[in-house]
Amino acid sequence: MLLAKDRLPQLLDHLAAQARVYVPARVGEDTRFALYSSGLEPDFEMVNTSLPPKDLLFPQAQSMYRYGFDDNGTPFIDPVHDSDNTVLFGVRPCDVQSIACMDDVFLTMGYEDEFYAPKREKLLIVALVCNNVAESCFCDSMGLDPNSAPYADIQLRQGSEGFEIVAQTEKGQAALSDWKSFLSDGTATRDNVSCTLKVDMTGIKDKLDEMYEHPIWDRISKKCLTCGTCTYVCPTCHCFDISQENRMKLGERFRSWDSCMFSNYTEMAGHHNPRAGKQPRVRQRFLHKLCFFEDRYGKTLCVGCGRCVEKCPVALDITVLIDQIGAADVAEGAEVLEGAAHGN
Amino acid sequence: MSDIQTTLRTRAAELLSSGEVVEVIGWTAGRFDNQTTPAFITKAEDAESLVFNEYCVNTTSKFSLMERGLGKVAVCVRGCDSRGINRMITDNQLKREEVHLIGIPCTGMKDRKTGEELLKCRECSYRNPVVYDELIGESVTEPELNRFDAVEKLEAMDQAERAAFFDSVYERCIRCYACREVCPVCTCKSCFVDQLAAGWQGKRSNVAENKFYGLTRVFHVGDRCVECGECQRACPMDLPLMLLNRKMIKDLDLLFEAGEAGLDAEGTNPLGTYDVNDVEEFM
Repeated sequence: MLLAKDRLPQLLDHLAAQARVYVPARVGEDTRFALYSSGLEPDFEMVNTSLPPKDLLFPQAQSMYRYGFDDNGTPFIDPVHDSDNTVLFGVRPCDVQSIACMDDVFLTMGYEDEFYAPKREKLLIVALVCNNVAESCFCDSMGLDPNSAPYADIQLRQGSEGFEIVAQTEKGQAALSDWKSFLSDGTATRDNVSCTLKVDMTGIKDKLDEMYEHPIWDRISKKCLTCGTCTYVCPTCHCFDISQENRMKLGERFRSWDSCMFSNYTEMAGHHNPRAGKQPRVRQRFLHKLCFFEDRYGKTLCVGCGRCVEKCPVALDITVLIDQIGAADVAEGAEVLEGAAHGN
Repeated sequence: MSDIQTTLRTRAAELLSSGEVVEVIGWTAGRFDNQTTPAFITKAEDAESLVFNEYCVNTTSKFSLMERGLGKVAVCVRGCDSRGINRMITDNQLKREEVHLIGIPCTGMKDRKTGEELLKCRECSYRNPVVYDELIGESVTEPELNRFDAVEKLEAMDQAERAAFFDSVYERCIRCYACREVCPVCTCKSCFVDQLAAGWQGKRSNVAENKFYGLTRVFHVGDRCVECGECQRACPMDLPLMLLNRKMIKDLDLLFEAGEAGLDAEGTNPLGTYDVNDVEEFM
């Protein structure tokens, strides 16, 4: 099926009448997934938005429950499960894969997150495979393909004729039957794109399994400022903290993004902090991306979107790290352990 | 500039092999064209990887704090870096004898993508290092500029406009704290933001909390800000953070003759000093 370019605004208006529709757009000085309303121009050429779409499922601050005493003095606890029908329209393959990673975390392994699940249930993912790549894009080194978004409900391929549309899930098929009046028969011709930035992931995970103690972590962490930029622009970073705010007889518990790069992320009661310094924090982040997540969920937690590569204020670049791990001598780590055993 | 790089490499190797310093903090090439990244050189043979060109966007001063205790460290300093070092000495964060300063006059750094001079460099009036142990390269002429241009526009707004402007800035803040971490005068052992038990700063990210963070930081660093502009450069959301810092600097100078921070290691603390002659019209 084909969506002609000039029918796109009509389709978006149609969708916006029944759901919250988010499209990649320039909003003031930012690029982000913006709430569509008639007249907003989606930008499908900008490569990646500076902020990922993760806050649609995992808001930077999300109410969990409200509590307090009612007028009769009776205590109450009211869970907050807000969710709306939402369409994420024009999302790129890397960001689609990031939702697959978040689904693993919040919906599998015997635990279903009651705040994530209803939002996810009501989300329709409409992917647009990449028209172009940025210099920092490296998804095809991370096992993805910029020309395909298999996890999306609906996949769009943009050609000069318009958008070729394929439903890939039941949810997607149901949606397409509703979109019918905007579609025509046809296909779109487009040239495949590939990333210019390449890294070789061969053997990286196996090496990292043996590199928990290794001088590479001291070397690469030196320049890290331990700000949270990489984690907040990352589409897959999903760590959170739980806090509460109290006003008179009412209170609210909420969770908010947290970052493993912050020192108080791991601070415990009594001020013990297992990751007080930046070396263990930098190591944790990269091992979680490239090693621990794969152990638990069978995929890497880096989708190659390149946002951290673009935004890190000191250019601590995960692709450079991957190269360095590839070139590293695993045995150097044993020397660190040996030294520690001898008190050096 | 390639002459500076050549001399820098030679001097770094000499300083390391003579044992005068244990480390040289400078820049090396990044992955992409026209990209550099902070470098920490500890072996003379690695000095060849040092780079100095018009894309050395990172200031070096904050890194010198991280290396305390290792021994004397050589730090490449331009005007901005050197003012940071001075101010850290004033604030008792660093001792002058802990660093060997390799001064490098600067002609302004460029954004690697646009090729344009960085805003922080266009607004800089101290391109030559204000303190150094040795100088590499010829001194450059300091530009004449009014660094308060943008502040004057802010002051010309009426109250409602200004409130809307601050809201528009802070609704975009993602509270990553890059501005704090990169700042050479943000040296508190425990930032008010992280004192969770005290509850100064809530964890919710919204315009009120973000503004509270940003404006409190402006007040806190106002009399010590060395105007290196790193906060604004590091900000992933490109917030105009130096505008607020400069408003504070301008007012402090008007009220307390605060001058410019980091020009020497003596310095003053207008916000931390009581003087019976202080202006107190607000009392």
